[in-house]
Amino acid sequence: MANNIDLSIDFCGVKFKNPFLLSSSPVSNSAEMVARSFDAGWSGVVFKTLNSDRLPIIHPSPRMHCLHLGSQKEMAVQNVEQISDRPLKDNLMEMLYLKKHYPDHPIIASIMGFFLDEWVYLAKIAEDNGADMLELNFSCPHMCIEGAGHKVGQAFQLLEGFTEAVKKAVYIPVIAKMTPNITDMNEPAMYAKMGGADAISAINTVRGISEIGLDDWVPRPNVFGKGAISGTSGPAVRPIGLNFIASMAQNMALGVPLSGIGGIETWVDALEYILVGASTIQVTTGILHYGYRIVEDMIEGLSDYMAGRGISRVSQLVGKALPNLYETDHFELDRQGITQYDLDRCIGCGQCYIVCRDGAGQAIEWDAQNRRPKLIEEKCLSCMICSFVCPVPGLISFKEMPSDWKRRETEVMDTSLEKQIKIEPFTKEGPNACNV
Amino acid sequence: MSNADKFKQMSKGLDLAQAIFEADRCLLCHDAPCSEGCPADTRPADFIRKLRLKNITGAIRTIKENNILGGACGVLCPTARLCEEKCSAVFKSENRPEGADRPIQIGKIQRFLIEHAWQTGFKVFDEKPALRPEKVAVVGSGPAGLSCAAELAKDGFSVTVFEARPEPGGVLRYGVVSYRFDMNFFEHELNDIKELGVEFQCNSPIEGKEGAEKLLKDGFSAVFLAPGLWAAASLKPDAAGIDGLFSSVDYLAALRDGRFEEVEAKIKGKTVAVIGGGSVAMDCIMSAAKLEPKDVYLVYRRSYLQMPAESDELIEAQEEGVHFLLLNQPVDYVTDKSQRLKGLKLARTRLGAPDASGRRKPELIEGSQWILDSDVVIEAIGNQAPEDSTDWYPHVAVTDKKLIKADPNTGKTSVDGIFAGGDIVRGPALVVTAVADGKVAARAIREYLGN
Ligand SMILES: Cc1cc2nc3c(=O)[nH]c(=O)nc-3n(C[C@H](O)[C@H](O)[C@H](O)COP(=O)(O)OP(=O)(O)OC[C@H]3O[C@@H](n4cnc5c(N)ncnc54)[C@H](O)[C@@H]3O)c2cc1C
Ligand SMILES: Cc1cc2nc3c(=O)[nH]c(=O)nc-3n(C[C@H](O)[C@H](O)[C@H](O)COP(=O)(O)O)c2cc1C
Ligand code: SF4
Ligand code: SF4
Ligand code: SF4
Repeated sequence: MANNIDLSIDFCGVKFKNPFLLSSSPVSNSAEMVARSFDAGWSGVVFKTLNSDRLPIIHPSPRMHCLHLGSQKEMAVQNVEQISDRPLKDNLMEMLYLKKHYPDHPIIASIMGFFLDEWVYLAKIAEDNGADMLELNFSCPHMCIEGAGHKVGQAFQLLEGFTEAVKKAVYIPVIAKMTPNITDMNEPAMYAKMGGADAISAINTVRGISEIGLDDWVPRPNVFGKGAISGTSGPAVRPIGLNFIASMAQNMALGVPLSGIGGIETWVDALEYILVGASTIQVTTGILHYGYRIVEDMIEGLSDYMAGRGISRVSQLVGKALPNLYETDHFELDRQGITQYDLDRCIGCGQCYIVCRDGAGQAIEWDAQNRRPKLIEEKCLSCMICSFVCPVPGLISFKEMPSDWKRRETEVMDTSLEKQIKIEPFTKEGPNACNV
Repeated sequence: MSNADKFKQMSKGLDLAQAIFEADRCLLCHDAPCSEGCPADTRPADFIRKLRLKNITGAIRTIKENNILGGACGVLCPTARLCEEKCSAVFKSENRPEGADRPIQIGKIQRFLIEHAWQTGFKVFDEKPALRPEKVAVVGSGPAGLSCAAELAKDGFSVTVFEARPEPGGVLRYGVVSYRFDMNFFEHELNDIKELGVEFQCNSPIEGKEGAEKLLKDGFSAVFLAPGLWAAASLKPDAAGIDGLFSSVDYLAALRDGRFEEVEAKIKGKTVAVIGGGSVAMDCIMSAAKLEPKDVYLVYRRSYLQMPAESDELIEAQEEGVHFLLLNQPVDYVTDKSQRLKGLKLARTRLGAPDASGRRKPELIEGSQWILDSDVVIEAIGNQAPEDSTDWYPHVAVTDKKLIKADPNTGKTSVDGIFAGGDIVRGPALVVTAVADGKVAARAIREYLGN
């Protein structure tokens, strides 16, 4: 591993030795656990969301379920866990312990209140007991009380008010953690910023149902005969997380540091979040699946990638994909291409043929004698679905065609039906953008 | 655990998670070579796809509807030269002949699915067919007979299986060693067939002059002959009285019909030689090797590459510590005064030109005779039709080896109403080919009796 690589990053003025943090969840539930995670290489922690002891917190049982895809385990985890069920005092002692023994690993206290005074109380007490930063949890999808959890994340004025009150009460930086259960995260993020938030983290879990019992018809987890729409996390939600981070990073008006969360398991996943604008990343489900040890591979993998590219500081990578991110109407539609097949490596499984026939342009003929596909170039839609199923990596690739090349139009089954169609051409003029 | 107990159980198959893992590797080929490679048309590409798409009951249905002995075949098929031979998942192409992966373990998935059906109580054939008035007789309850009987019962015919031995199964019960295929497993599979309404009459050999033809007169509208090959070829037919000399047929049956301890006592601590190079010889030698002998020798007159046994069997035998005595031809037995076996007289051979089977022919080396001290010798040099077999079907045309001549597309013999299949037609073959023959004949019998 190259040693001139600097993975450290500044996040709201707080220094982390690498961008990899535990997110607020069971993986950050106690000092004993977090200490081990620091030993393994995690640079900081968002401690499991504190509660003020005002209401009893009891986790439903069982509290999680998961979604496998064939033999691929834990595509997603489904949870109905509440915020920390530990007494506030205990949590604060844990934070003090970590501060004392791991002074160079920042502690971010996640808090959640139900009304203004409670938010302020938790914020101050966290600061007084060593928190380097706060994360305001506006996003838990299954806290069921109005004015808490993701309900706040969807009520922008409330969110602004709580942020503002917390900001007034403490000196340390404040992150607002957003719910993905919303169309455009820029709106609540702007409200958080107006309230004074120094950074945004996203995403919390996505509301979902990942499995329903076929014997009892109870959505999972089955809490003694009852299921609920609850929080989905893990690799399945990564595209959603990347969407929100990228769209906030593109928003010049927002302009605050972002912490990316959602489905990160490897350095590649982490780097993708960084490339669309996150400067730290947080992980839960990846650890629920593999344990803290995955950070070793994140550190090593990212360092080697950077060394290979001649990039010495991870901050140089933040947002590097953003200049290449456009609205789809910017695409150059006069440039077209097709697939190309390196048939020397073909093993003849015919999956390309099946999917092209049933889901694309019928652009492949099947040579049953030799068990080989034969591409009819003018019919290839360049949808690329054949390359998704091909078991030989890189056998099917994309190539651009010359500008005078034309794709054949899809044939009409029976042109004699032309006389029977009832059609009036649409002639009205209108705007070229969709105005709502 | 006693040896007898060790022999009673075969090793565990895949569990659900392992089967799904294996199905996940399948490429779901368009024109799947695995399905083309299955003699019984068990349709592996279909049942693997169904498993992959969580249609487990459908996968089981595909197997059982096409192969009533799907479980037995899953365990016993030499898949490396059947369904798995051309599996695309080995990633071979003309330009990459080396290949990079393993074939899908089709036999193992197939076995899992059938065991899963038994475990979950899923029944494929839960609807009774409309009954037909005709009765059909099946002679022999090996895989060919069972398959034909099941097919006909599914069509509503009333089927009676006549079996000479005390229990149904043929080689599945009295041949294959039980640690490869155990009776608990077989009873389940047999039960699937009994539930179709097939009637079994055991201890009922068809024999005597024109025994088979008589069935046609006794009210059976058609007869399927599947008696298999139960006479053991012998090096020296007059050597039968020697104490310590077994035929493979007798030795393997003894392991399974209550004579286990007797055989075990003969082998434990002794030197054992098995003559032969095929799969039956492998069953003999591997089972002997597990009975704590002093030494086990496999004696074969050609060389390694000419051995007809499956390559995984050969590798297993080597790993079990079997001494391969190749290029040695047995010529005689050495006994003491009381006819107790003392040794096997062997002569060295060299390989000459290829013979009719395409394998290089062994030639004796003059003056090379030597004696291998041995207490037990098992002859596994081929099963054949018994001398008197044609007595009970005298009008059925047979080959010079007494194999029945039957049309491969229908199983029809030279006698109207008599059909045949399995080893008695093909010579020593496989469970899955016997199943195929049973299906083919059943279809022909249905047509013969007017669809
Ligand atoms: C030791 C051994 C191991 C083998 N291992 C494998 C293997 O691993 N995989 C594989 O695919 N194949 C294997 N085979 C081959 C396979 O078992 C046979 O090809 C298959 O059993 C043939 O089936 P069949 O129905 O034709 O005959 P059989 O299984 O031989 O059944 C014939 C039945 O007919 C009965 N019968 C005979 N004469 C009469 C009569 N006159 N009246 C009434 N009943 C009669 C017999 O008692 C017997 O039960 C093995 C064979 C042997 C001998
Ligand atoms: C069991 C479980 C409990 C969680 N509890 C909290 C919590 O108390 N506070 C919080 O802000 N987020 C909580 N989360 C959300 C995670 O911190 C994280 O935002 C989300 O799981 C997405 O990241 P991931 O895909 O890496 O898990 C929890 C997630 C899980 C799976
Ligand atoms: S999917 Fe790939 S390997 Fe399979 S036939 Fe098509 S090109 Fe060949
Ligand atoms: S040949 Fe192999 S990869 Fe293709 S369908 Fe059959 S089992 Fe699957
Ligand atoms: S019956 Fe035998 S050859 Fe056919 S698919 Fe099953 S295991 Fe393969």
